[in-house]
Amino acid sequence: MGETLSNTLSTIESQSKSAQTLGDLDTASMTDADWDKLTDGELDILERKIASKYMHIIPWGAVAWGLGNCLVWLSLWPLVLMDIVSIWLAAPIATLNVMLAYLPSHEAQHNIIARQGHPLRWLNELVGHVSVIPFGIPFRLLRHTHMEHHAHANHPELDPDYRVSNMGSNDWQFYKNTILGRQPASKDNDAYPQALVRTGKSHVMLDALACNVIYLSVLFTMAWTGHAIEAALLWWLPKQITITYVNYYLSWMPHQPAEHQGRYKDTLPFKSMLGNIGSMGMQYHAVHHLYPRIPLSLTPAAFRELRPILIRKGMDTRGL
Amino acid sequence: MDFKKLIGVIFSPLAFGLGFVAPLAAQILTVSGYSVGIDNIYMGLAIGGSLGLMAQLRGSWVWVKP
Repeated sequence: MGETLSNTLSTIESQSKSAQTLGDLDTASMTDADWDKLTDGELDILERKIASKYMHIIPWGAVAWGLGNCLVWLSLWPLVLMDIVSIWLAAPIATLNVMLAYLPSHEAQHNIIARQGHPLRWLNELVGHVSVIPFGIPFRLLRHTHMEHHAHANHPELDPDYRVSNMGSNDWQFYKNTILGRQPASKDNDAYPQALVRTGKSHVMLDALACNVIYLSVLFTMAWTGHAIEAALLWWLPKQITITYVNYYLSWMPHQPAEHQGRYKDTLPFKSMLGNIGSMGMQYHAVHHLYPRIPLSLTPAAFRELRPILIRKGMDTRGL
Repeated sequence: MDFKKLIGVIFSPLAFGLGFVAPLAAQILTVSGYSVGIDNIYMGLAIGGSLGLMAQLRGSWVWVKP
């Protein structure tokens, strides 16, 4: 018993010393040979140390982005209906607004803006709820199903995004499957409700119900009062384009071929044809799955610093 | 009609076809100057109703079943 305690204390002491020594390392100037000398445990310590530098930072840019983007989209409706802005100018802006709606809410889903008990918690929840209004999918539904995705990434039964992550091995298969996946009889429609039922959150389906009733009421009312084209170009079509975009960059590209589970395996970096901004930062989505509390804007820097460790941990960085 | 059935009707492809696709098709026909001698809303209802019915029966808006 005494020996076991002594061994444990000695392990903690050596780990603490190791952590202190590793903390002083200038990782930027380390060569491949230097990295290769580190043990698996030392790589773990260093990985956590590097990641912690990028956490606990309030992403004010995402706050402004989420609230501002929603405000711009909402303002397009009266501007178009009062003939102040042409629908042909408003349509691409609305499409961009709907495409930009998800990610600020994603920061809030992970409590990156403020955790429970933080004085700015209200802002976290406000951004979460408001930013996804243009996308027309409720925050709580996205949050709960997204937590399941993180907990079971690439698991065929438990990951609610698995069917999207597994939408084929090339772009054409993806496009075909993403269109078929949103048809009325598609099983893809069942993934989120099933995840909510499985986790005892079926009451959140009421949010989805309310959201869909509002969405359809707006479309139907606008359409039958002579504004169908406006409704189609400000909301319906942008939403369809966004579902394709979000499925492509946020689910399919980082997770495909969706064959592996586990840390360093279930989410991989990739080179996007549209660059990092065009893919809304998703080239470095692997960092987000390792450390979900690193804000989106900091994942590229975190990836660059973590890269030597990730490679040694067995991650395929796919050319990045 | 109970609540579940009402929700099923509101969210049905046929309701979307008649509630949105029909007036949308009618307005697109009007804007593009197309006319076949009947009011475009009837053409719209024919298009939206047919597409909605197809989606309702086949479970797909694009004919190909998922």
